[in-house]
Amino acid sequence: MTSQRLMAFGLRFYVVVFFLYLFLPLLVMAAATFNDSRFPTVTPWDGTTLKWFGELAADSGMWQALANSAIVAVGVLCLAVPIGIATALFLNTVSSRAKPFLYALILSPLLTPGVIIGISTLIFWRQLGVSGGIFLTVLGQATFIAAYVMLMVTARLQRFDRTMERAALDLGASQWQMFRRILLPYLKPAIYSAAVIAFLQSFENYNTTLFVVGYDTTLTVYIASKVRTGLTPAVNALGLILILVTVVLAVAYEVKRRRETARSVKGV
Amino acid sequence: MDGSVRLEEVVMRFGDFTAIEKTSLTIGSGEFFSFLGPSGCGKTTLLNMISGFLTPSEGQVLIGGEAMGKVSVNRRPTAMIFQNLALFPLMTVFENIEFGLEVRGVDKRTRREASERLLALVALEGSGPKMVTELSGGQKQRVAIARALAVEPRVLLLDEPLSALDLKLRQHMRAELKAIQRKTGITFIYITHDQGEALTMSDRVAVMSAGRIQQVADPMTLYRSPATGFVAAFVGENNRIRATVIDAEGERVRLDAGSLGELAGRAVGEPRLHNGDSAVLFVRPEHLRPVGEDVSGPRFQATIEAVHFEGAWVMLETRLEAFGELLRVQLGHEVSRQYTDALAVGQRMAFGYDPADAVVLPDDGSPMVDEATGEMVETEQRTKRAGDSHA
Amino acid sequence: MLRQLRERFGGPLAVAILSLLGFWLILMVTLPQLQMIDYSLRPNLLPAQQGGPEDGWTLANYATLFANDIHRSIFFKTLWSSVLVTLLTLAVSYPLGWYLAKVATPRQAALCILLLIIPFWINEILRTYSWFIILSFSGPLNEVLMMLGLIDRPIRFLSGDGGVLIGMVYAYILFMVFPVYNAIESLDDNQVRAARDLGAGTIRTHWRIVIPHAKPGIATGCIMTFMLAAGSYAVPSLLGSPGSRWFTQIIYNWFFEGGNWNQGAAYAFLLLVLCIGFMSLVMKIFKVGLGDIAK
Repeated sequence: MTSQRLMAFGLRFYVVVFFLYLFLPLLVMAAATFNDSRFPTVTPWDGTTLKWFGELAADSGMWQALANSAIVAVGVLCLAVPIGIATALFLNTVSSRAKPFLYALILSPLLTPGVIIGISTLIFWRQLGVSGGIFLTVLGQATFIAAYVMLMVTARLQRFDRTMERAALDLGASQWQMFRRILLPYLKPAIYSAAVIAFLQSFENYNTTLFVVGYDTTLTVYIASKVRTGLTPAVNALGLILILVTVVLAVAYEVKRRRETARSVKGV
Repeated sequence: MDGSVRLEEVVMRFGDFTAIEKTSLTIGSGEFFSFLGPSGCGKTTLLNMISGFLTPSEGQVLIGGEAMGKVSVNRRPTAMIFQNLALFPLMTVFENIEFGLEVRGVDKRTRREASERLLALVALEGSGPKMVTELSGGQKQRVAIARALAVEPRVLLLDEPLSALDLKLRQHMRAELKAIQRKTGITFIYITHDQGEALTMSDRVAVMSAGRIQQVADPMTLYRSPATGFVAAFVGENNRIRATVIDAEGERVRLDAGSLGELAGRAVGEPRLHNGDSAVLFVRPEHLRPVGEDVSGPRFQATIEAVHFEGAWVMLETRLEAFGELLRVQLGHEVSRQYTDALAVGQRMAFGYDPADAVVLPDDGSPMVDEATGEMVETEQRTKRAGDSHA
Repeated sequence: MLRQLRERFGGPLAVAILSLLGFWLILMVTLPQLQMIDYSLRPNLLPAQQGGPEDGWTLANYATLFANDIHRSIFFKTLWSSVLVTLLTLAVSYPLGWYLAKVATPRQAALCILLLIIPFWINEILRTYSWFIILSFSGPLNEVLMMLGLIDRPIRFLSGDGGVLIGMVYAYILFMVFPVYNAIESLDDNQVRAARDLGAGTIRTHWRIVIPHAKPGIATGCIMTFMLAAGSYAVPSLLGSPGSRWFTQIIYNWFFEGGNWNQGAAYAFLLLVLCIGFMSLVMKIFKVGLGDIAK
């Protein structure tokens, strides 16, 4: 009995340590933002300051990179979400001997290292005379983000009761009306979730982007170059802002998702 | 408006499995018609051919005299009520009912008037703005009916719609469905495995087994004069006794049942029986009654093995002394009170019946009821096969 | 395939679905990969020489790796380090997955999952960067260790592979925790109780009941973590030193510093083969299929 209780206590202790490990680095980085030191650190503490936010705001390169990231993310959204939905519908509808092969091909971008997706995109489009830049970044990122969208849409589609489709047709709807009025509204929550995830994935992507971005710069590429070259706590200020934005988004998204789950459970 | 449905030599195959053997049938306009059979018998397949979800491998379906071969699901003058109802969960009651009109491009005011009228018909006034997920089981049922009626179908197809309801509600909805059918005059085609539903609501019933229609008749005829062994065993309860025909002349057939002696019953089936044929005598439990030593005529000497008191009647499970077979006897209130002392496990009793109540059918090897479980032996195997090829 | 789609969605929608799928699978997935392989099999030529007599398929680019000791050792180091990262991540994640799935109350689990998701939403670069601050020579970790008297002079954490390993475990841990958690969660509580009831200890219960059940999740986590680790560019470039280069960095250099794309393509393809090999191995060891991996 005591050994089991010890085990349970040990597990709880471990969980606490784990979450400290998870959050401490982020706290350290956030704290370093306010340190009046030329280098990003918390030791020694040279006094509290907000000047790094000012310096960040004055950094035009950062603003350009941020704008590029936003453009790329919107482009990825417009490409990956329709592809992901179409693929999910395809997998849900078709039964064929070629399906296992196609399924493996569809999943392959998820299991391929990001650098390789970047490299193959870069090489392929160079043959067609397109060189690295925002356009290729969108294509490269959408290649694997579409697969994430597919997984999320498929998860919901699998729970769809297809009698609903039959009922719509039986009541006189055309297949398009059925899709517009029944299937699409049903998939909407999953599509929104997938869009949010796709946007964030695009925004934070580095490995693929690095190879296809050319002379343009996205925010992550910009941060990485800052970290390696002119390192000042202004990077921390940017990091802190991004963390706060993502935390707010993450919490909002989770709360919304849970509310929806609770509602759908009640509905059934 | 002609709501008649004709099946002309339709056959349905899935791969090498034949779900529906060649079938022809006419259902009259305004009739309440049921297909009754165990699951896997092909009744859902038939319904799907009428609604247009399936195209028959051979033959054709006519609705109102019009061939439906080229008419797709969404253009047929039918509407279906699904087993799980298939209400659209993200829509209100109004939106559900008006969906069929909406996709036909009917304007909003006309739609709303129609749905208000239908909600009144199914006694759900005022529920229009609710989400369907807020409704009770019975209310959902009514919305499903209203939604199907909204498109003014000539034929309403009902796929075991009451099976999800509890017993009380189910019985109530039977009466209601029948009333709605009478009020609207629409042809109702109802499929069910529940004989109670089929017998109480229908004008005519088709009993199905193994992809074949066994008998089409009104409920009374079905019960009193089953045409095949399957119908006799599936509709209501029946005891079966195998015997050899010794006199097949006339209505009354005489049988030789070996050590049980001579038995008699009505011949109803086709083909006609001949002397020397092996046949089965069907006697319903409620037609058996205790008889004294002195009474002449067919009698079964049996030992009581179990007594089930059911309130309005008593069901006895007895063992035939001559055959060792099970004989179920249902005694009404009056009789059971008269024999109170004798109704105990281990008691011996003799039972007799009026030959006018018993039916003699050829021993066609049709599916027999398993004594221990009361299930259709052969049908069950078939269900499995059908399940494989449909899914 | 078109027929089934048309029956369900009608002609125009079926065509749209197939077009999108075809565009993606052909122009974005398959052809670029094939082009990369084709590239890796050709010599690096000046534009004028292309199509000339020297332009043919050759394995020369692959031979480079085996001829170059440094590149070869980096390749194998990347392999072993990625395996190590995978095992470390599994060891760290398993107890947490177990806790979330079977020990925590539903409210605790929900809170923990939210807490887990938050860092996951934050940029890999930023997560790695925060370790850069912690591990730096005059950073807080050294300060704390010195204050505690455990060391008397700061350690250069960032000069070897240690920093890279720590950063990778941190960066990819969620790709392990979630599949493991999902897999353990689907285990029937009664199985664990039955095992306990039959006298199995904690370790035996996990070894015989929980881990076999969680196999698909563990396999998924391992495959994802290995792939991310072996293919990582951000972590080694931020936390590594010139002496602890990662294979991805060599590939990058071929492309953007050496200017030999053909050579880079060959190396990239080798990296892909490595990941596919690891994946097949894991799927074989754990006896799981592709269908189990995409939850």
